[in-house]
Amino acid sequence: MRATVEQAHPSRARSELRLPAQPSELARARRYAHEAAAAFGLDEERCYEVVFAVNEAVTNAIRHGRPDEQGCIELSACSDGERLTLIVCDHGTFVPPAAVEGGPSCEGGRGFPLMAGLMDTVELHTLPGCTTVCLSKVRM
Amino acid sequence: MSFFYISDDASLDGWERSEDIALLVAGGDIDYDASPQLRERLADRIHGGARRLVLDLSKVTFIDSTAIGVLVGAVMRLHEEGGGSLAVVCEEENRRVLRIFEIAGVDSLIALHRSREEALLELTTAR
Repeated sequence: MRATVEQAHPSRARSELRLPAQPSELARARRYAHEAAAAFGLDEERCYEVVFAVNEAVTNAIRHGRPDEQGCIELSACSDGERLTLIVCDHGTFVPPAAVEGGPSCEGGRGFPLMAGLMDTVELHTLPGCTTVCLSKVRM
Repeated sequence: MSFFYISDDASLDGWERSEDIALLVAGGDIDYDASPQLRERLADRIHGGARRLVLDLSKVTFIDSTAIGVLVGAVMRLHEEGGGSLAVVCEEENRRVLRIFEIAGVDSLIALHRSREEALLELTTAR
């Protein structure tokens, strides 16, 4: 699956972070996302959008996904100069969220719409035992 | 580690104190790690009889969709208990938090105010 992601986003710069699938690790995921966005040259507001979207994707992976044998999920960042992509990968089989189809009174289902509202593209790649979310920002 | 706090605030001074009004103040990052505390505190106040809740998020540095879900859950709980309301306060300067509320589309359930005074005035006169 990773090969597929790398083909889809040929990268010049790439970094990876293996993260224990624990809620207490979300702050680390946000710091990682902020560093990647800042290194790419995004202004603070757009860095925050990346941080928010990554936090949502990692939260989904922790809540609904499945970690590897070591209890980890994977977060990586790559950029090709014009596009920054953050990739969140877990070993679960994606089940579509109960979207906010019940209206605004549903407690869940807001993660993907919020990610889509803040990123330029949000891609979901699903295979049995592998769920990958790719979150991209294009340089303005 | 991230930083989060939520506290009761006694500074309802100047407002007609009513047992069913509660003011809570949160700060720091409200993510999936912190949202259970938020859920618990809101549930405690509702269980204790509060029906008009004001939650000041002006000092919140990060809020995610699970926290929004907790707030929606509190509103649903109030409805189940026979009615009530949740007002969120967020200062105009805190654009990050305000923006998430705007995109989340929960304005039909949760009133958003720019100051505690505005929220309390609305709560105490709209009844």
